[in-house]
Amino acid sequence: MELTTTVTNDEQNSVARIALAGALNTDTAPDFEKQLSAVLAGQQNLILLDMKDLDYISSAGLRVIFKGAKQAKASGQRMAAANRKPHIDKVFEILKALPDMAVFANEQELDDYLDAMQKQVRDN
Amino acid sequence: MLVDYRLNRDDILERLQRESQDTINAVIIDMENWLDGVESSTLLVARILQQRHYSHEGLLQILRDAVEVNDDIYGAAIALAPDQADQARGFAPYFFRRNGELSYANLADPDYNYQAQAWYTDAVAAQSALWVEPYYDEGGGKILMTTFAVPVYRETDSGERFLYAVVTADVSLAELHDYLQRLRLGSSGFGTLLSRNGTILSGRNPANIMRHYSDTIVEEVDHNTWREMFDAALKGQVVIRHLTCADVPGRCVIRLGTLKSTGWPVGVVYSEDEITAPLREFELKTALIGLLTMLMMAIAVAIVTRRLTRPLQDLTLASDRIAQGDLETPLPAVRGNDEVARLIHSFTAMKKDLKSYIADLETATARRSRLEGELGAAREIQMAMLPHGGEANEVAEDFGLWARVLPARSVGGDLYSYFCRDRLLFITVGDVSDKGVPAALFMARAMSLIQQLAATADDPAAAVALLNEALTSGNDNCMFVTLFLGILDLDSLELRFASAGHTAPSLVRDGGVSSLLQETGPALGLSPDLAFPTNTVALHPGDRLAIFTDGIDEAFNEQDQMFGIARFNAALLAAGGLSTGTAGRELFDTLATFTGAKPQSDDITLLLLDIADPQRLTLQASSEFPLGPKLTGRVEAWLCEVLEQLAPPQEALGELLLAVEEIVSNVYKYAKLPAGAALQITAEAGAQQIEIEVTDEGIAFNPLEEAQRAELGASIDDAAIGGLGVHLITTMTERQSYRRTGGCNILRVTKFIAKPQD
Repeated sequence: MELTTTVTNDEQNSVARIALAGALNTDTAPDFEKQLSAVLAGQQNLILLDMKDLDYISSAGLRVIFKGAKQAKASGQRMAAANRKPHIDKVFEILKALPDMAVFANEQELDDYLDAMQKQVRDN
Repeated sequence: MLVDYRLNRDDILERLQRESQDTINAVIIDMENWLDGVESSTLLVARILQQRHYSHEGLLQILRDAVEVNDDIYGAAIALAPDQADQARGFAPYFFRRNGELSYANLADPDYNYQAQAWYTDAVAAQSALWVEPYYDEGGGKILMTTFAVPVYRETDSGERFLYAVVTADVSLAELHDYLQRLRLGSSGFGTLLSRNGTILSGRNPANIMRHYSDTIVEEVDHNTWREMFDAALKGQVVIRHLTCADVPGRCVIRLGTLKSTGWPVGVVYSEDEITAPLREFELKTALIGLLTMLMMAIAVAIVTRRLTRPLQDLTLASDRIAQGDLETPLPAVRGNDEVARLIHSFTAMKKDLKSYIADLETATARRSRLEGELGAAREIQMAMLPHGGEANEVAEDFGLWARVLPARSVGGDLYSYFCRDRLLFITVGDVSDKGVPAALFMARAMSLIQQLAATADDPAAAVALLNEALTSGNDNCMFVTLFLGILDLDSLELRFASAGHTAPSLVRDGGVSSLLQETGPALGLSPDLAFPTNTVALHPGDRLAIFTDGIDEAFNEQDQMFGIARFNAALLAAGGLSTGTAGRELFDTLATFTGAKPQSDDITLLLLDIADPQRLTLQASSEFPLGPKLTGRVEAWLCEVLEQLAPPQEALGELLLAVEEIVSNVYKYAKLPAGAALQITAEAGAQQIEIEVTDEGIAFNPLEEAQRAELGASIDDAAIGGLGVHLITTMTERQSYRRTGGCNILRVTKFIAKPQD
């Protein structure tokens, strides 16, 4: 299975959204790692991994996300995952991976989060 | 020789010192005599002038006679005091030698002014005779000289004392120098003469004459030494010093004394090495003679030793050749009756004994290899008596059966047999007491009896009893056999069996293992008229029964630990997922790994019986995957294709694929496989489970134990990236096992695709 990624930048909210579709495994992880670091270099505040169409993730894929989250934290950015399918969720659960990462179950939670952030910005 | 050398050396040294001392003394005495002669001639003239008055002509005559008579005097003068001469300039006649002729000069010359010369003034000031410091005479001789000056006093009639004249005698420094240089001490030794002021009058280097001695010395240390010596010599002491001297090789010795008449320090400088050269010659000679003597002694000793050890050397060479197996090597001839001769006699005897011993050994070896050949043939015959020659693998629709006998020696007493009649499966496993040839013969007898019985028997207990009767008759050796005899009804799966003292079989069922409970009778062949109990057990599809001999559970390792039933059952369970044959071979491997280098002590037999499970294995596939790009993708695609017909639930399949990907990634990372190597993946699937086996030829590596596991739930800052895969493997599959067989890592995982039935 291949991995397709689509990156959209929301400059207004400083959010980079990476939509993942297909399988993030040993074969596809190296390419994704490059893409992720390019996005991280874009200096958006929030890097959102949209896993709505992600069917499969292995530890090699998790490693890349893990590494990205570490990098993001070091540079003051945040990384979040949204729309995880149950079996993807199970892998995250098993590995108790990324406890620091924000997780949004669906689009509504994400919007709420973004609103809260904007409100915070306005209040400041 | 050493003492002799010591005595001679001291002797020579003493003689040499004495000789050099004598030479020096002789020169000094000569010189003293010479100077004494000059002094006494001058004093004589002075004494005459003191008492008598002479005319100028008379004075000239006296003076001329004095010089003429004494060859040692270079020149002489009578210098009248100013008021005693008729002339205003004074009168000072001077006779001296020039070119062998006697010449005359009047020193009363306005340019010269004799009354101001040192020889005049010094004598007047001292009022007594004295040797004047050396000087260059410009008045008459025009040479370097020193002068003995005597003031002459007269008395007036009234008894008043006045100076009349100064009488002098000159000595040429060149002559003095020549005189002193007659002194020869070695080739570089020389004499030296100094004035009281330290002016050099004679020395090795003529250029230094008339210079102060301190001006000719460069080294500060030497300077001090010389001054110290000079001062001591002036006081009349004799001093000896060792110094480094420019012109003298080796140790330079300076001996300084004083001439009595003049008070001038006189000395010799010489090389001690040159003086003691004869001594060194003597030393060299002694050493040469010593060396020569030792050399001759060494040659003599070598010749004698060689004569003594020659036979021993020959003997050593001969014994080396004998040791290499050449028993025909001749030994050296015996001469006399010494130790060597006795040794040669011993060797001769040994050679003879060795020959006969080797001949015996050859015979024995031939006999033994013949026996081994016979035993090998016997083994083949014995194995041929067992179904499929000692290792059987039967796969039928209803059951799978695998059995193997491994004798401890060429032949053994273990046996197995199986036979299918209608829907009944006869199974026998037996163990004859002892091992080797007697056990093998007894086993052959038992085998043929069992084969006869199997054709007709329906009841295991009755069959065992019959067998006992047959084996007991004519068994005077009291051989016996323990036996398991079972009859399985393939329709009802009911197993009835009788045990004649045999170890209880083990049963693997539903992921568990246990030893069958059994009632057993005595071993067969010892006493007649015995009855045996019948045991009944209901088998299930999927059950595995292991019937074995005590060669397995009573195998020992190098630490003398017993393999035991518990270890065997555990291994049996671990091999649970394997096919009958693979499991059987795996169990033999496990046992061999356990015993290690410990030799096998008893015959080993194992029979595995699998009851077919229609729901179990419905699919079996295997493929090789060369390392390379998209390895996990290729594995995944193949697995999906293989498992398609099974249509497993999507979630379970996804989890299995994830686990397999992690296994493959792990192999890729840790097994250090060479480029071009391949992985082998086997899939076995039934209605309830999928079993995947990944085999690689990499370095031994058990990912279940050795993989670096990440700590779960750590915060991003602390967590290590990677090492998560093993967690996924163990969570996503129900069973995992690792084994290392035949240089391969084999990891097997089982994924349930339906709930296992209870």
